[in-house]
Amino acid sequence: MEGKTQKITKKVVLYLILVILAVIWIVPMLTLFLTAIKGKKDFYSGLSLFSIPARIAWDNFTNALVKGRLLTYMKNDLIVSGLKVPLGIFIEALAAFALTRLNIKHKTGIFIFFLIGMMLPMQTALVPINVIYSKLGFLNTYFGLFYVYVGFGISYGILILRGFFKGIPKEIDEAAVIDGCNKWQLFLRIIFPMAKPAVATLVITDFLATWNEYLLASVIINDNTKKTVPVGIMTFVGEHGTDYGYLCAGVLVSVIPVLVVYLIFQRYFVEGMSGAVKS
Amino acid sequence: MKNSDNKRDWGAYAFMLPAGIIYLSVIVVPVLYSLYISLFKWNGIGEKEFLGLRNYINLFRSDPIFLISIKNNLIWIILTIFVTMTVSLGFAVILNKQFRGRTFFRGFFYFPCVIAPIAVSIIWRWIYNPNVGFINQFFKAIGSDFSQSWISDPKVSIYAIFVAALWQAIGQPMILFLAGLQAVSPDVIEASRIDGASGIKQFVLITVPLLKESFVIVIATLIVSAMKVFDVIQGLTGGGPNNATQMLSTYMYSQTFQYNNVGIGTTIACVMVIMMLVVIVPYVSFTARED
Repeated sequence: MEGKTQKITKKVVLYLILVILAVIWIVPMLTLFLTAIKGKKDFYSGLSLFSIPARIAWDNFTNALVKGRLLTYMKNDLIVSGLKVPLGIFIEALAAFALTRLNIKHKTGIFIFFLIGMMLPMQTALVPINVIYSKLGFLNTYFGLFYVYVGFGISYGILILRGFFKGIPKEIDEAAVIDGCNKWQLFLRIIFPMAKPAVATLVITDFLATWNEYLLASVIINDNTKKTVPVGIMTFVGEHGTDYGYLCAGVLVSVIPVLVVYLIFQRYFVEGMSGAVKS
Repeated sequence: MKNSDNKRDWGAYAFMLPAGIIYLSVIVVPVLYSLYISLFKWNGIGEKEFLGLRNYINLFRSDPIFLISIKNNLIWIILTIFVTMTVSLGFAVILNKQFRGRTFFRGFFYFPCVIAPIAVSIIWRWIYNPNVGFINQFFKAIGSDFSQSWISDPKVSIYAIFVAALWQAIGQPMILFLAGLQAVSPDVIEASRIDGASGIKQFVLITVPLLKESFVIVIATLIVSAMKVFDVIQGLTGGGPNNATQMLSTYMYSQTFQYNNVGIGTTIACVMVIMMLVVIVPYVSFTARED
């Protein structure tokens, strides 16, 4: 009997802790939301931050999207991420395939060489990229941003895909070779399709990392029509730093795409990422 | 066996080619080029003036802001190791228990991770607003007249930024710890319970040692990201007030792109790499040895 009440008390305490933490954790998003729906007047009328205004200030959102160019920023970010994610993963998969299944010398050495890039701070490459890009005319271009994003994504992609490919039994290769597959067919038709779970996880993490990247984008892009969301949203702060409703509406809108992606693919994050760690 | 090794399969190298070329041109060549630039006085456009190692010597000898940046990076590392790691381990332990809604809560506490750090910094800029921000309004609402200018006060600004970063930073290590905890066999825990180990003792003596691998990955990634920290600082204070939150990354950025001291900025970036090698070399050899 005592054991049972003890169990229930434990559960209650657990939920209590969870709810308190959840309330603390939601504060930033809640503040953002409650500010974004308030008009300028609401701030000066002394309305409390925690209240809901009589009328939702939809203007904040339309202004952020159109006048604030957020629509343009999102389009740009989508183009760059939409190119980077599939092409980057394909290139990483090719290399990971060679590193796990083909006859190459110094496999571990090459792998370590690729791995180091994951740790290096982007700052180390910033000035040379800027200098080379200005000579080649790649500044303020989608291609310029796309290319460096692929470069900085290679280490992580190879790490994850190599880990997964290693787990695919070698017998499959032998069977495929007997069936007359060459290396390319083996990769394209058999190994790469088998890596679907790893690729799915990579697509999502890669999309978010690219969509959210600030440092490289801020150096390579300064043309307002080419900016990505994070660089664009910083422009908001400069231009409308005190128009809180408008600023928060902009940030909220910029966050919605990643929240949607997250909610749809949530399963892959928590389950998939711990799987990626194990392999 | 030997025979097949001798016969070079050049076709196999073709698979490495795209990744190799891009990796070399985006990372390897620029890093080497940076090392070269760091030996010069240069504004990015004009003639380069060769200085040898004098950029490095000057930074360590006579640049107080550079030394503040190193100190702040070290503070940030210590904070992440003690606070971020402890908090995320706590979350992982709670979210590893069996209860209804577990998946929801896991997803819920992870979600700040997917938001752009630069957006996080803008959200917290607003929360810390001294007049109408959430925190000071909150104190007002509960009847306290406590008020503090969070990010513009040099004494507290670095900690204020850290709290903002923490909101987002626990997700990743939490997942890593959860993966480690799931691998801990319940039999081991059960056996220790029978042996009479209490909750905390059992956790410290049994669970923590079994999480060794998770700790290695978490500590390495936390130190690396603490050395690199940029977006959240840039978005909240840009290194101010009066360099109180200046990091190597933000100082490198302002030297290079604001003051056009490209030689000095690049030198700071190279110092970052050299300092990070202390973590990178053991971690990479650990990762490579694992398989």
